[in-house]
Formats: sequence, C-alpha cells, structure tokens
Amino acid sequence: MERNEEGQNVGRWVDERMAILAPADEWEPNVPRGLAHFRAKREEVRRPRQRWAWVAAASLVICISLMATPVTRAFAQRCLSACVNETGWVRQILNVGTSGARSNTVYAPEARRMAPDFTLADASGTPVSLADYRGKVVLLNFWATWCFPCRAEIPLLMEFEQAYRDRGFVVLGVSMDDDGWKAVKPYLHSRKMNYPVMVADRRMPELFGGLKAIPETLIIDRRGRIAATHLGLCQKSEYENDIKAVLNESAKGTTK
Amino acid sequence: MDALSGALAETNAGEGRPDLDSVFLAQYPRVARVIARVIRDPGRAEELAVEVFLKWARDRKARLGNAEPWLYRAAVRVALNELRRQARQNRYESLVALFRKSPPTPEELHVAREEQERVRLLLRVLGRRQAELLVLRSQGLGYEELAAALHLNPASVGTLLARAQKAFRKEYIARYGTE
Repeated sequence: MERNEEGQNVGRWVDERMAILAPADEWEPNVPRGLAHFRAKREEVRRPRQRWAWVAAASLVICISLMATPVTRAFAQRCLSACVNETGWVRQILNVGTSGARSNTVYAPEARRMAPDFTLADASGTPVSLADYRGKVVLLNFWATWCFPCRAEIPLLMEFEQAYRDRGFVVLGVSMDDDGWKAVKPYLHSRKMNYPVMVADRRMPELFGGLKAIPETLIIDRRGRIAATHLGLCQKSEYENDIKAVLNESAKGTTK
Repeated sequence: MDALSGALAETNAGEGRPDLDSVFLAQYPRVARVIARVIRDPGRAEELAVEVFLKWARDRKARLGNAEPWLYRAAVRVALNELRRQARQNRYESLVALFRKSPPTPEELHVAREEQERVRLLLRVLGRRQAELLVLRSQGLGYEELAAALHLNPASVGTLLARAQKAFRKEYIARYGTE
C-alpha cells in the first residue's frame, strides 16, 4: 500500500516535470500550412516517378525507331558490336556463356539442310559458284567493310585458309556492302585477303533465309549441307572446333 | 470504362481507408504537439510532423491499419531522434566555440538554464522505450493507447510506465539533486 502510494507520488512528480515540456498554450500548429506542405511534398515524391516513366518511354521510342529500318538496325548493331569488341572482358563473359553451354555447334548430319547455291563474281570478275566447291569444306562468311567485328575476324579466316587448305578447306567471303566493289576492292588490296571474296546481290540475304546478324558464318560440309551457323563475333576456338569436326567427319564419310 | 471507374473508386475508398487529407486534418495538431513537446523549436516540430505524415502516406501497410497509434509512435521517435541529433550538433558547436573562444549568447544561456532543458536531457539519456512512454504519457494517452502506439502488452504498460518514471526520477536526482 505504502509502496503503491510512493509509486503514485513518483508518477505525479514525473508528470509535473514532463508537463514543463508542453508547448506554450498560445501555440497552435498551423494546420493549413502543414496541409499545403504535405500535399506539395507528396507531389514532389510523385514527380520523379513520372520522370522515370518519361525516360522509359523515350528510350523505348528510340529503341523501336532504331529497329524500324535496316539502315538504323545495322547502325545499332554496329554500335553494340563495337562496344562488345572493345571491351575484352565483356566478350569473354559472353563467349563463356554461349560456348560453355554448347561446346559443339555442329548439326548432326541428318539434321543438316542443303546450302542454297549461288554464283557471284569475284574481284577479278570470274564467276564463283558454291557448287564448284562440292567435296570441300567451305566456310562461308558474310561480312561488310563497315562492320567492326567482321573486320576483326578476317585475319582469323585467313589463318584458317592457310592452315587447312591442304585438307580440302576453303574460305569464301560475301560482302554485304551497299556500295559494292567500290568499298570492298580497296579493302581487299589493303588486307591482302587470300581467299575469294564476292559482293552480295539483292537475292543473297533472301536465299539464306534473311541474315540475322553480321558477321554470319556458315560452315558447309563436303556434300554441300550447312553443318554449323555462327552469328556475330565468335572465338577462334569455336570456329576451329567446328572446322575440325566437319573435316574429320567427311573424311570418314569418304573413306567408307 | 466501367472497370476503370470501379478501380478508381476502389483506390479512393481502399477497403474503408479514409483518404490522406482527412486523416491529416484530424491528426496533424496532435502529432505536431507531441513533437513540439520534445524539441524546442515549434517550427521545426511542424516540419517533422509533416515528415511523419509523408512517411505514413508512403507506407501502404501503415495506411491499412489504424492511423493514430502509428502516427503517435512515429512522431515520438522522430522527435527523440531530432533531440539527439540537436544534442550532437550542440556538442560539436560548443567544441568549435571552445576554440573560437566566443562567449555563449545570452539567449543560449537563458535557454540552457531552463528546466525544460533538464527534462530534455533526461529524455536523451533514458532508454528509448522509456522516453517514448513518458512523452506519450505526458501527451495524455491512456494505457490502452500507449499499448497500441508502442506495440506493448496492455497488461504490462502500467509496470513499464512506473519503471520509466522511477528511472526518470532517479536520473534527475542524480544529476540535479532533490527538486
């Protein structure tokens, strides 16, 4: 009982002390001002979200317009591939991601479809036809002089041509340049390319089912069937694995 | 069209949730008073009260529940935080002042002498829970309301409050002597 009373005393004493803190009686919080402030701040919070929406919409429009026509699409692709090419570690990551998943990109022989035949003139004007190379393994490379990753691949292709020529291997380049020989010829001379290069005509992309990317590289087996397709820039080992696989298998085929 | 207007009505009514402005009008004076009790500057108290409402308006879960206890708790926390922040700042400023050797202004002296500042110091020194309890109690909240605001068991509010009061008194006497 006594303790209880003491507790009440303490309570009262503390209440008195705490009451000193009460704001002056004449002070009233200014409600209209507070409300205006509250509303304004809420608007402020909402506005950045709207700004983000605008940014998103704008980037969507830019993306769509970039994808709309082939010219802009090629431009976007060029930018992207240049970025990828410039930063080695990005390329490495991308390649690890893809090549790790599928170490062998060669189609099974029964799943292969025939490569469409074409005849185009090479730099000296001699007609070159895919059918002429039946019995050889052909690496058909679609490229363009403006395409940075394509240009990066060319030394690689020249190396392959050099290394596997004796085993019945040939590289064919098909340039997709709109300016045709005017753009390609000086480039051929400057790079001393050791394999035949043609310039594509209008039918070419259609013939190959619409090229999805540049560079696009097809490996065609000795019977003229598409054994592997590579889109975009790939690592040397990926090409090499496929080339060796196709060379070996068709050698087996012929001996049987 | 129907679906759209239905959705609009739903967001406005929101399972019987009163709209933000009416809650603001009903609770703002009380929230501002709680904060003004703890910190010295009433203008700052009003600013902080608006902050509390903004926090509440952004917190979907808080808006679904009962607004009042949530607002009380947020208010007392914000106020105590501000009190501590000001104290830290003052300490820093007094340190700087020591180097500058400028005497404190008469106003500062006057304020520092006030009893209010003693109580505020104690609120900073006491445990956060106890300080919250004492502030809301002095605001006139009953046990039930205290329990709701501070997430306490209603049965133990009395004990906790008595303990907080005792701690307050002990601390006060230790610092300033009896009365």
